[in-house]
Amino acid sequence: MRSDLRSVWFWLTLAALAVLGLFLLLPLFNVLAGSFGGNSGRSGWSLVRQDGKYLTAVVNTLVLGGVVTLLASLIGVPMAYFTARFDFSGKAIVAILPLITLVVPEVIAAQTWLMAFGNNGLVSRALAERGLELPSFYGWFGLITVMTFTYYTYVYIGTLAAIRGFDVQLEEAAQSLGTSPALSRWKVMVPVVLPSVLASALLVFTLVVGNFAVATILSNKVPLLSVLTYQATVSEVGSDPLLQSTLASISVAIVMVVLFLQRWVVGRGRREVVQGRGARAQRLAGWPGVLLGSVAAAVVVISLLPVVTIVVGAFTQARGPVMRWGTWTTANLERVFTRAPDPLFNTLTYAAIATAVGIAFSVAVSYLVVKKRNRLTPLLDYLTALPLALSGTVIGIGLVMSFNTGWLPLTGTGAIIVLAYVVRRLPFGTRNASSTLYNIPDSIEEASISLGVPPLASFFRVVLPLMVPAIVAAAVLTWTTTVAELSASIIVYSGGRETMPIQIFRLIDSGLMAQASAYGLLLVAVIVLPILLATRVFRIDLFASRA
Amino acid sequence: MGIRIDSLAVAYDGHRVIDGLSLTIERGSFFTLLGPSGCGKTTLLRTLAGFVQASAGRVHFGTHDVTQRPAHRRDIGMVFQDYALFPDKTVFDNVAYGLRARRQDESTIQRKVGQALERVGLQGLDKRHPAALSGGQRQRVALARALVIEPQVLLMDEPLSNLDAKLRLQVRQTIADLQAEAGITTVFVTHDQDEALALSHRIGVMNQGRLEQVGTPAQIYREPVSAYVADFVGAANLLPVVLGQPVAAGGSTAVPVGAVEVAAHAPVAVPAGAATLVARPEDITLGTPQPGALNGRVARRQYLGDKTSYRVDLGSGLQLDVDSHGDGHDRFMPGTEVALQLVPRRTLVLGR
Repeated sequence: MRSDLRSVWFWLTLAALAVLGLFLLLPLFNVLAGSFGGNSGRSGWSLVRQDGKYLTAVVNTLVLGGVVTLLASLIGVPMAYFTARFDFSGKAIVAILPLITLVVPEVIAAQTWLMAFGNNGLVSRALAERGLELPSFYGWFGLITVMTFTYYTYVYIGTLAAIRGFDVQLEEAAQSLGTSPALSRWKVMVPVVLPSVLASALLVFTLVVGNFAVATILSNKVPLLSVLTYQATVSEVGSDPLLQSTLASISVAIVMVVLFLQRWVVGRGRREVVQGRGARAQRLAGWPGVLLGSVAAAVVVISLLPVVTIVVGAFTQARGPVMRWGTWTTANLERVFTRAPDPLFNTLTYAAIATAVGIAFSVAVSYLVVKKRNRLTPLLDYLTALPLALSGTVIGIGLVMSFNTGWLPLTGTGAIIVLAYVVRRLPFGTRNASSTLYNIPDSIEEASISLGVPPLASFFRVVLPLMVPAIVAAAVLTWTTTVAELSASIIVYSGGRETMPIQIFRLIDSGLMAQASAYGLLLVAVIVLPILLATRVFRIDLFASRA
Repeated sequence: MGIRIDSLAVAYDGHRVIDGLSLTIERGSFFTLLGPSGCGKTTLLRTLAGFVQASAGRVHFGTHDVTQRPAHRRDIGMVFQDYALFPDKTVFDNVAYGLRARRQDESTIQRKVGQALERVGLQGLDKRHPAALSGGQRQRVALARALVIEPQVLLMDEPLSNLDAKLRLQVRQTIADLQAEAGITTVFVTHDQDEALALSHRIGVMNQGRLEQVGTPAQIYREPVSAYVADFVGAANLLPVVLGQPVAAGGSTAVPVGAVEVAAHAPVAVPAGAATLVARPEDITLGTPQPGALNGRVARRQYLGDKTSYRVDLGSGLQLDVDSHGDGHDRFMPGTEVALQLVPRRTLVLGR
C-alpha cells in the first residue's frame, strides 16, 4: 500500500475513478434511487404495477428482442458461414457489410424504411396500384423488419471472426477418426464457434431493448419500454421523474441480466484454440454459387436500401409531407445550408470535442488498466464497461437528473451533450485502446527506461507512437457513432442545440421526409468521409482491434 | 563497477520471491544467474535494473547505494528476451535512442552508432526496421543499443532463448567477445546450463528465491554443494544412501551401495545418516562382471554416435545411467551382465 501511495499512477487511477464516479455512477445511482420515490411517499414500482400498460411494454420489449435476435441470427450466421468457407461470385460485396452498420444511423434506417414501406411509401404505393396490400408498417411488422436488417451485421461479424479463427485441422482430425465431413463439422466446429455466435446474438438483444430511434418512430400502438421511458421524460404535460426512473431502472435490469448471461456464455465457451490453419474457401460453381451469390446480394441490397433512399429523398421535391417522387430539386439541401445550418455545426462541434476528450480519456484509462495495474485498476476497468449496460435513454435521464441544478448545473449547455456522447462511447474507445496496449510488450517501455528516459517520457516517446494507428481507428469509429447519436442527446439537449439526428427525428415526427433526407444525406456524408480518409488515404484497418 | 547485494528481499502480494539474498559481483566480470523458471532469477535481475522495488535489503553499484534510484538513472544497459526493439524506429534510431536521451551531439551519435553496429556485425543495416531483420540480427541490434551508451552494468534477461540452436551459438560468441572487449560488469539470466557454463566467470545457481551455490563453472559442475545443483547442472545419478559416520568437508569415505562399497568424495561436510550419492553418467565405466564389484544388467541402450547411453539395473529398484565413450562404446547389448566402475574423485556424497 505504501508503495502504491508513492506512485503517480495510483493517484491518476484515483482521479479517473473520481471522474467516472461523478459522471457515470452518480447519474446511475440517481436513476435507480429515483424509482423509489422521494418526498411524496409514492414508489414508482407500485405505479408501474398498477397500470397494465407498463407490464405489456416490458413483455413487448422482450418479445421484440427475442424475435429480432432470432431473425438476425438466421440471416447473420449462414451468411458468415458461407462467406468464410465458400467462394462465389459477388462475394466482394458482402465484405462491405460491416461498414453499412456504421454508415447508416438507426434514425435514418427507420426513416428510409418508412419512405419505402410507410403509408405513403414508394414501394407500398407501387404495390397498392397492383392490388397488393401490405400490412401497416407501423407496429410489429416495421419494428421487426427494420431492426432485423439493422442488427444482423453484428451476428454476421461475430460469427465470421469465430469461423475464421477456427482451426480446420480439428475438423480433419475428426474425419481421420472416422466421422463424415458434414458430421465432423457439426461435432467439432459448432461447439467451438457457438459461444461467439451466442455472444453476438445476446448483444443484439441488448441493442433492441435499448433501441430508441426505430422503436419511437415505428412503434405506433405497440407500447415499448424505451418509448414509454422517453415519453415519461419529455411528456408535454410535464415529465414524471418517478416513472422515468422506474422504467429506466427496468431497462437497466434487463440489459444487466443479458450481459451477465453473455459473460457466462463466453466464459464457459472459452477454450484455447491453438493457432491453426484457417480453412481455404471452397469455390462454389454452377447453380449453388449463383443461388448463394444472389441471396447474399439481396441481403446486401436491402441493407443498402437506406443509403439509396436517402439520396433520392434529399433531391425529391416535396410539398409539406407529400413527396413528389420523380421530380427533382436541390431546394432541400439549400435550405439546410442557408436557413438552418445550426444542427450541422452543433453536430460537428459536439462530436469533435467528444471524440477528442473520449479518446484521450480512453487511452489514459487503458494505459492504467493494462500497464500500471494496482489494486484500484480492476474497478476502473469494470466501470468503463458499465455504459454497455445503459441505453442512451438511461444515460440521458441520469445526466439530466444529476446536473439539472446543484453545484454543477450543466442542463442547457453544450457540455451535457458532449458528456452524454463521451459516456456512451467510453466502453468502445477503452476496449480499442486496451487491445492495442496488450499487444505492445512491457519490455519496449522498459528498454526505453533502461536507456535513460524517464517513465512518462518513455510512454510518449515509444508507446504512444505505436498506438497511433489504433488511436486514429478508434477516433474514426467514435466519431461515426457520435455524430449519429440520438437517444441520449435528445433527452439532454435544449433549444438551439439540436444536432442533426435530433433534427431528423423531429422532422420525421412532423412527416417532413424530404427535409429529413437532406439532413440525413449530410449526416451520412459526415460519417463516410472520415472512414474513406482513414481506410483509403491512411490505409488504416478500422476493425483491426475488434475481436 | 562491482555490484553488492545485501540481504535483499522482494515480495509480490505478500509472497517472497527473493528471500534475504546476498551476493557480490566483481567489477568487469560475467556473472550468470542460473535456475529453473520461477526460481526468482529474473526478479533479481529486474531488481538490479530498478523495475522491481526491493521490500528489504540494499543494492550497491560500486560505492553508490542505488536501492531507491529509479531505473532510468541507474546507468544500465539491458537486453531483453523478446529483444524489445522499437518497431517504428530504424536500426540506427534504435541504437541512437539512449545517446539522444543523453543529449549527445549528432556527429558523436553518428560515429558511436556506426562503431556499435560494426562491432555486432550489422554495418549497412542501419536504415532497416526491426521487422525486416532475422531473430539473430534483432538480438544483435538490442546488444548494440545496450552497449553503445557504455553503461556501468549490462543486464541480460535470457537473451538467447528466442533463437534457434545454431543462432544461439553464434550470438553467444558475440556476447562473450563483446563483454571481454568492453569489460563491463555483466549479469546474465538463463535456465540453460550450457550457456551458463560457456559464458560465465562465475555462476549463481538459484532455487526458490535463494542462491544455492555461487562458484566458477568448474566448481558448480565438479563440486556441487547440494543434490539440487548436481541435478540441475548437467546430468547426474542421485542414489539415496545411508552413512555410518559423518564426513568432513573435502574428505572421502566408503559408501555402501547394495552389497558393495563405493569410494566417494564430500565437497562439503555431510552428517551421518541419510545422504545422496552423486555420479555423473560419463564418470561411470562398464566392464565384464566380477565378484565383489558393483554388478548389474543392461536394461536399455541408446546409440548416439559419439557415445552410447545405457540404463543399468542394479537390482532392488536401483538404476544408474551410464554414458560410454571411446572404442566399442556400443558393445553392451540389453540383457548383458556388466560391472560398473565409479571414478572415485568424481563420485560425490552430499547431505540430504
